[in-house]
Amino acid sequence: MSANFEPNVVAFLCNWCSYAGADLAGTSRVNYPSNIQIIRVMCSGRVNPLYVMNALQQGADGVLVSGCHPGDCHYMEGNFYARRRLGMLKDLMEFVGVDPKRFHMSWVSASEGHKWKEVVEKTVEDAKEAGPFEGFRRRQIDW
Amino acid sequence: MKMDLEQLRKTAAEVAAREEVKYLVGWKQGTYGYRVAPAFVEDAAGAAELIFSPLCTANLATYLTLAEQLPVPRGGEPDDRKVALMVKGCDSRAVTQLLVEKGIERDEVVVIGCPCPGVVDAALLAEKYPETEEPAEMKWDGENFLLIRGGEETKIARNEILAEKCRLCRYPNPVVSDIMLGEEVETWDLAEDEGVQELENRDVDGRAEYWAEQFDKCVRCYSCRNVCPLCYCQDCILDRLNPTWVNRSVNFSENTAFNIARAFHLAGRCIECGECERVCPANIPLGKLNRKLAREVRDKYDFEPGVDPDAEPFQASFKPDDPEDFIL
Amino acid sequence: MTEKPKVGVYICHCGINISSTVDVDAVAEFAQKLPNVKVARTYSYMCSDPGQVLIKKDIEEQGLNRIVVASCSPRMHEPTFRKAISEAGVNPYFLEMANIREQCSWVHEDIEEGTAKAEKLVSASVAKVRLLEALETKEVDAEPAALVIGAGIAGIQSALDIADAGFKVYLVEKTPSVGGRMAQLDKTFPTLDCSACILTPKMVDAASHPNIELLSYSEVEEIKGFVGNFDVRVRKKARYVDFDKCTGCGDCATECRVKDRFPSEFDQGMGKRSAIYLPFPQAVPAKYTIDPENCLYLSRGKCGKSPKCQDVCGAGAISFDQEDEFVEFKVGAVIVATGFDPFDASRKPEYGYDDYPNVITGMEMERLVSASGPTGGKVKIFNGEEEIEPKEVALIKCVGSRDTSVGNEYCSRVCCMYVAKQAHLIRDKLPDANIRIYYMDVRAFGKGFEEFYDRVRRENVRYIRGNPSEIFKRGNKLVVKVEDTLTSTPLEDEVDMVVLGVGLEPRADMRGVMDLLRLSQSPDGFFLEAHPKLRPVDTATDGVFLAGCAQGPKDIPDTVAQAKGAAASAMIPLARGKVTINAQVATVNEATCRGCSFCVSICPYTAIEMVTVNRFGNEVEVARVNEALCKGCGSCSAACLSDSIQPKSFRDSQILPQIAALGVLK
Repeated sequence: MSANFEPNVVAFLCNWCSYAGADLAGTSRVNYPSNIQIIRVMCSGRVNPLYVMNALQQGADGVLVSGCHPGDCHYMEGNFYARRRLGMLKDLMEFVGVDPKRFHMSWVSASEGHKWKEVVEKTVEDAKEAGPFEGFRRRQIDW
Repeated sequence: MKMDLEQLRKTAAEVAAREEVKYLVGWKQGTYGYRVAPAFVEDAAGAAELIFSPLCTANLATYLTLAEQLPVPRGGEPDDRKVALMVKGCDSRAVTQLLVEKGIERDEVVVIGCPCPGVVDAALLAEKYPETEEPAEMKWDGENFLLIRGGEETKIARNEILAEKCRLCRYPNPVVSDIMLGEEVETWDLAEDEGVQELENRDVDGRAEYWAEQFDKCVRCYSCRNVCPLCYCQDCILDRLNPTWVNRSVNFSENTAFNIARAFHLAGRCIECGECERVCPANIPLGKLNRKLAREVRDKYDFEPGVDPDAEPFQASFKPDDPEDFIL
Repeated sequence: MTEKPKVGVYICHCGINISSTVDVDAVAEFAQKLPNVKVARTYSYMCSDPGQVLIKKDIEEQGLNRIVVASCSPRMHEPTFRKAISEAGVNPYFLEMANIREQCSWVHEDIEEGTAKAEKLVSASVAKVRLLEALETKEVDAEPAALVIGAGIAGIQSALDIADAGFKVYLVEKTPSVGGRMAQLDKTFPTLDCSACILTPKMVDAASHPNIELLSYSEVEEIKGFVGNFDVRVRKKARYVDFDKCTGCGDCATECRVKDRFPSEFDQGMGKRSAIYLPFPQAVPAKYTIDPENCLYLSRGKCGKSPKCQDVCGAGAISFDQEDEFVEFKVGAVIVATGFDPFDASRKPEYGYDDYPNVITGMEMERLVSASGPTGGKVKIFNGEEEIEPKEVALIKCVGSRDTSVGNEYCSRVCCMYVAKQAHLIRDKLPDANIRIYYMDVRAFGKGFEEFYDRVRRENVRYIRGNPSEIFKRGNKLVVKVEDTLTSTPLEDEVDMVVLGVGLEPRADMRGVMDLLRLSQSPDGFFLEAHPKLRPVDTATDGVFLAGCAQGPKDIPDTVAQAKGAAASAMIPLARGKVTINAQVATVNEATCRGCSFCVSICPYTAIEMVTVNRFGNEVEVARVNEALCKGCGSCSAACLSDSIQPKSFRDSQILPQIAALGVLK
């Protein structure tokens, strides 16, 4: 992998905690790597684990899912479901040979702008270490 | 253990003859070699062809949900009769899991339990004792299997041809049944899941390489899905175009996505009957994927599908203390 | 069939907030080339009136039917733009926002990186907006009643305003009496009016108001439902005194076998009370309560021959077999006015609060100077031999506030003034005492505050700038060790008495209310408002509002103002009688649903039920969503193996193209 490789990271954030936390990072002018793109969902429980697979297939080098801390979910339990489902997915992905550095999950609350920065830095750094995802990335076919 | 065929056929005849039973699904000898076919017995007479032998590998529970619900002609009444089903231990877990997720209702089935000392891996058997055209018979004989063909009996050591799923089987006796045939068998010492362990011991690139080779072979025939008793959505998302989860083209990327999605959908649901792997024409070791997940579900989440009909479905429940060591 | 999408993309400069890190023109040029994009424009402030007019004009002239606004967070202006496009005749849900400010320009510095990211975010929004569906908002009836949790001054004021407007109010108070912290205060700054004198009438009003049902000594157990339709369950704790029979005469407390044995909560433990007690003389309701942990009869099953309170109660009100009761009711809105906890001075062990009796907290000082307090308003200390009047008094500010060592970075906003007020009150009582105040800063920001601070200084109260490091004992004097930072002089100041100006903290028991209402905390630990500036009394949960110190430290006027604000906001659904329910709810494709009911198990709002439908003559079970109950979280859909249940606006078919747009295959 080249040293100046910049990974492409797709992040799924729940509207109430993590997305708000990422907004707070902005309001607080916290600086973090720009290779993370956020998709807003209402709850981390909304994140179909297959999105992670799909993102890797469609060109992401790393994926992050972030929700409210356990017990703080705006919808009471969504993050608990997310934790179970994505924990299983992580096991499966690792077993089929996807570098565990490519997928992370975090709890970031609406007040944790700084934690959000740390999470992004860790996710991007890990994706960078893992290198460009070749694995089962969908390839465009030149006819 | 001895399976009393007389008793089996007699019981089956009685059940099939019941007014409330539409048909009974059991095993019958196939047309050649080691083949065993599903038998749909609609009356007492049909029960005469039923067998239960070490060759009866197929999980018949899949026919509970595979049966097409035909449109009812105007003015007609839907056929609400029950389906009777012969199950081994593993098959019965599929029935239980179907009950958990309301794939069937308990009063829609008559479950005939067949305690099972383990079935053979027909492919392995054929490798060692090549198949002939003549339909073969097989019996349990203590620590051996007895292969009977052309009037000749061959003793084969159990461990030589025992199916992998049976080496790892913890439920040889049906967990749900209305009628139990014969006596319960004793459970045996479990083998280590070497296939999974060997992969776990590799580094992540080693595993990637292994599965790349496997998924590359996939012809996307969907047999694994079709045979699975727990893959029974009328409209599978892996077939769907809007949204497209997996493209239809057969290439490594889409094959991998297909296989990941298939295995993931069975997380906490797979009852390890091994049918997916058995039917795979490309010999992809799908069982390893399923068993890996099943073991994680067991070890980390203390959950086992298909044993308790009143359980909360794994994917639709959580515990406040589910593991979260992977969370940043 | 729906119309072919014609997308307009609007990129906001936000002054230079966005345009300094994102080349907005380049983004517009990029967006112009995206599929289905008809127009892409930039403007200095999209949210401004001319900005909105720009969009509306394009909709009319160019026939746009989908709008992407790339600007600030959708949490900020999504409602603004929804409204704008619907005024121009486009369904408000045909809008997608790309957050290129909070999540792009404000967090990145490099203009190339910022622009590249903004382009990606815009292309993801365009990918999604094309596939959005038109949604209709629906309305359901709202219950014309409110629940107010906490009956301090904030809760009382909110309850009174709502009740005066003609709506039913359930005012729930955890302790036996309403009044809260304000009832414990002596005088209030800066006007020095007597706290009890201004509060007591309001307490009585709250209890006697025909529209207010006061549930004192009660706790909310459960709140279900949504704005306009909350189902509330309240536990009325057993007082062991018949509420209707008790006349409040107090004979029971006088005769109690363990009379005046237990620290009075109201007097900050400096006064004593019996096991049967009225928290304070002006308590409302004036009904006695038995403390079951200390009552001999209730804790040990035996109290002499027979419990004396029972013997002496002329009204026959003592009822030892009373049990907790539950009441259930429905409200349209909830106000959380649960207040604060004073900072626990034991957490600053260097100040010796636990070791030296003459180190007291501000709250204790309030009781000490109060005419109705344990000393009848006399400031006295015990020097080991006798009670004397202190000669040397020190007050210390910022105890537990602006102090990261105890985890409180914030300013408690009231200590500067209450410490000044207490200095004034001490001066009143002890004209000859030497009084000094140790401070870091003096923040006299409110109306009349600076004037009051000046007045106190003129009353011979010395302000010494320094944050004491330690308090220790020397003989029978307390020594305050401190550096006067204005003169850089280390001091060891010998005094008789120290008052710790403790700050305000989030209540230790706030977790219960958080869980009941799904509220969040801000970094300081107080309840988080929906927006720090524009929605300071709202929460992220519709129909739930905040009043008073539950949201953050406040003085009494600010608390009352916020309580009135919360009351006014809470009355909006009550007065309208209707609430708009979320249009972005889950919906089931009944043709593909396999009836497994995973979604039913998952839904925390019991919004999904199984129904029997006819599929070509066969009866099958499928899931169905009750739209009034669904919150649109989408947890159901991620577990639906056949993808049959999907939240509108967040469908797989809408998110997968977003993922694809962000992936950008190489």
